[in-house]
Amino acid sequence: MARLSFAHVRSRFWMAACWVSAAVVLAVCAGIVLAMAARGIGALEPSFFTTDPQPSFEESLAGGIRAPLAGSVILAVSGILAVFLPSLGAAIYLAEYMDEQKLGTRAIRLGLEVLAGVPSVVFGFWGLAVFSQPIFAFLSDSAGGDATSAFGRSFLVGALVMAVHILPFVVKVMEEAIRAVPRALREAGYALGLTKWRMIKRVVLPSAAPGIVTAIVLGLGLIVGDTAIVWLTVGGTMTMSGADAWWLPHNWLPVLKGTGSTLTTFIFYSSPAGEGNAPGKAYGAAFVLLALVVALNAFVAWIGRQRSIKAQ
Amino acid sequence: MSYDRMEGTDMSSSQEAAIRLRFSRADGSLGRLGTEKLVERALAFSAASSGAAILFVIAFVFMKAYPLLARDGLAWLARADWDGAVMEAWWNPDFWRFGALPLLVGTFATTTGALMVAVPLGVGCAIILSEVAPPGLGRILATAVRLLSGVPSVIFGLVGLTVVVPFVQKTFITEELGLRYVDVPLDGQSLLAGSLVLAFMIIPFVVAVSADAMRSVPESYRFGGLALGMTKWRTIAKLVIPPALPGIVAGIVLATARGIGEAIAMAMVAGGLANIPHLDRGFVAFLEPVRTLASAIVENGEGMSVLQVESALFSLGATLLVVSVVTSILARAAFSRLRTKTGLATERAI
Repeated sequence: MARLSFAHVRSRFWMAACWVSAAVVLAVCAGIVLAMAARGIGALEPSFFTTDPQPSFEESLAGGIRAPLAGSVILAVSGILAVFLPSLGAAIYLAEYMDEQKLGTRAIRLGLEVLAGVPSVVFGFWGLAVFSQPIFAFLSDSAGGDATSAFGRSFLVGALVMAVHILPFVVKVMEEAIRAVPRALREAGYALGLTKWRMIKRVVLPSAAPGIVTAIVLGLGLIVGDTAIVWLTVGGTMTMSGADAWWLPHNWLPVLKGTGSTLTTFIFYSSPAGEGNAPGKAYGAAFVLLALVVALNAFVAWIGRQRSIKAQ
Repeated sequence: MSYDRMEGTDMSSSQEAAIRLRFSRADGSLGRLGTEKLVERALAFSAASSGAAILFVIAFVFMKAYPLLARDGLAWLARADWDGAVMEAWWNPDFWRFGALPLLVGTFATTTGALMVAVPLGVGCAIILSEVAPPGLGRILATAVRLLSGVPSVIFGLVGLTVVVPFVQKTFITEELGLRYVDVPLDGQSLLAGSLVLAFMIIPFVVAVSADAMRSVPESYRFGGLALGMTKWRTIAKLVIPPALPGIVAGIVLATARGIGEAIAMAMVAGGLANIPHLDRGFVAFLEPVRTLASAIVENGEGMSVLQVESALFSLGATLLVVSVVTSILARAAFSRLRTKTGLATERAI
């Protein structure tokens, strides 16, 4: 074997160090998934999905995740409904109408960037303070009919705060999707005599649709994964406070105005750090949550692949 | 850039009026051009309000923090009494002497500790991802990083609490140690556990942004280095990393911001005590519990009903806001520096 020069030894050493760090990152990622699977799968019986959480010191009696799972879905759907139109409007304006050199454009971009950097716990706390104002009492009437103050915690409040939290991320992805529409398509639209808005509506938005869907799915992931905002603004109750039979369709309004939980707050509550202390249930819920996040990720990747196939 | 502005279809107002006349309908309802204007206004409104939302957040947080800031200025940042002050404020309505120094120290310590792990690992991983990994492995690694960035913080907290905390307790904390330092609980929930968990929460930011920056360095740099007989590592260290450095810095800044703002996971694994680690105890300082600014907002959240505690918590929120505004601006500056250095537009990956 030929002798290696010092430079080669050094090169090999540092490249090996890089490989080790990549291996560590891979191992930790795999470790988290495997830990969730190994400890969580035991909890996944049919009854885990069909019973609500029960306050109990005995873990076997602590119930399932029916209400938190529904809570995650309710919060994600209502949060997306709240954010969809404003973010799409902002994205269209930023991509199609704005002059990058203008001060106003730069101010809006800076505002969105700063908003994206605000920690979610600050949003949660801010939302709690804003929506506790009496004028917002209609969003959360669980204060017991007291007109001078609002309770400030409900699914509706949580959804609105989530909408503000995810807004900059959703706008960014939507704007990129709109900008990626080829110029030739726009020119064809104009050549056919379309006005600017009609061109956007008929040509740009349909071709940007997969990217807009990606933005929505990413937004769903952010909502489903957040704990701090939910803990502060949806309330710490593990079951739906709005109605006992919350799954009946006509109870939708009391449920939205009531408090509840999502998978994340259920995990927080059931972990050894919370009051529930049922780690088995926490792992079960964490496994379900992780599966949800992986599924959303895979969906985004799939859309991306479809787009690149189409583009070729 | 929009089409009509590029093609110079600016029209004079008389031209516009003539067109408006032609397009408006006989019944006086909005014509097509009217709709155009209306739509543009509505879109402008949603863009402007999205950009201004941050002002609303800042204004409200500072308004709620004002009672404390007006009485105490910034002195509460330098005082060292948090847990006791919160207890005192519950029954004494005139009590305003909060001391957030332990929270500041806790935030600084956990974030610094996490960066010491995350920066070398993250940059190493980014080098593999952008410079050496074959496409298949690169895809697996990229997927793992994306997954890691998507794992909810409460799951990091749960794994930290049931895996990392017991590990720290079993490995480092002996009975003798617990008896020697009775003033703080040594139960594994510690600065060390917090830093380790936080490190893997922020690694995806370092990896994704750094790898993107390195990919934006032109291929010809690498060919030049290899043609001169430089080793692989030397090419990377001397020719790829320097132009990508602003991007790597931006990734680190974003990761720092994320670390400072993490609440739930830190509340679960760093210990529930606003304690300043005793540096004179050497390594034991890493085993002491700490509390961060963000996790104090979650853990003391039930104090919202007390005016002074509410104001103090909002002051913590205001501190976090100021820090996040500063980091956003720093990251922005780093990105624009990267753009001028590599001559290519790189976009933020996360």
